[in-house]
Amino acid sequence: MRGLSSLERVILECVGNQSLSYDQIQYQSGLQENVCFNIIQALIIRGILKSDKNGYQVNENISPLMMEELNGVEAKKAESLEMIEAVVEQKTEQVFRFQKIAMDSRDEKIFLAMLSNLDSFLKDAHQKAKSSVPLKERKVIFWGVGDIQSVMNQMICGR
Amino acid sequence: MTLQNKIIQRYRLFYPQETLREASERTGIQITRVFRLFNGKTMKVSELEAFESAINKKVAESPQYARLNNIVEEALSIFTNEELAKVSDYLERRVTSKKYSRTYIRPLFEDANIA
Repeated sequence: MRGLSSLERVILECVGNQSLSYDQIQYQSGLQENVCFNIIQALIIRGILKSDKNGYQVNENISPLMMEELNGVEAKKAESLEMIEAVVEQKTEQVFRFQKIAMDSRDEKIFLAMLSNLDSFLKDAHQKAKSSVPLKERKVIFWGVGDIQSVMNQMICGR
Repeated sequence: MTLQNKIIQRYRLFYPQETLREASERTGIQITRVFRLFNGKTMKVSELEAFESAINKKVAESPQYARLNNIVEEALSIFTNEELAKVSDYLERRVTSKKYSRTYIRPLFEDANIA
């Protein structure tokens, strides 16, 4: 598989620049024990994670080619889609809204300004709480806007 | 991996708990021969077909399989290379996530030298 799956990314984000034990990773990620273990094994096999007596840490000698594969635009897109799909399919506490909205140019500007405000609010909130809130308790938030015509064309052309 | 190995691996995936005797009955191949085939002995075409037919029977029990198969065949004929890559990537991700949920026996992590 090219890039990382969302599950693999979660493990890597948990480890970050530190060296964590298996139990710490499992606590931080909130993944089931077997899933967590299997992912760690897969990441070790791919040479992305390494283990030593202190626990697991991200391999600092990942080749630039591999880095590009892990963090490239296509890989990130696929990962985002995975997450979005999971949110859309969520059975409990689902918050998802999708609408086709008629908007004049003035309202469009207001809307974009509100999105910009929302973006800064989220950045501030993240900065404030990132050291105290474990990864498993963080929120997945996404938004996007497109013109129906161009979206339709893209669906037809497939690119 | 050879075609023979792939077929046997798929067969074991679809019939994981099956004994040699049951495999023999299902495929119509002698039990000693099944044992040898599972241990890497070269297959005859008729034996390969017997395993394939058993796999297909199992697969046919799921109506979605035929649907998926048909749509994949159609996609192969009309999609561009780029579009096929996207679909493959999507399926690969779903399969990988599914594989991660398989069970295992937990070793003693702090002592295990995994790297």
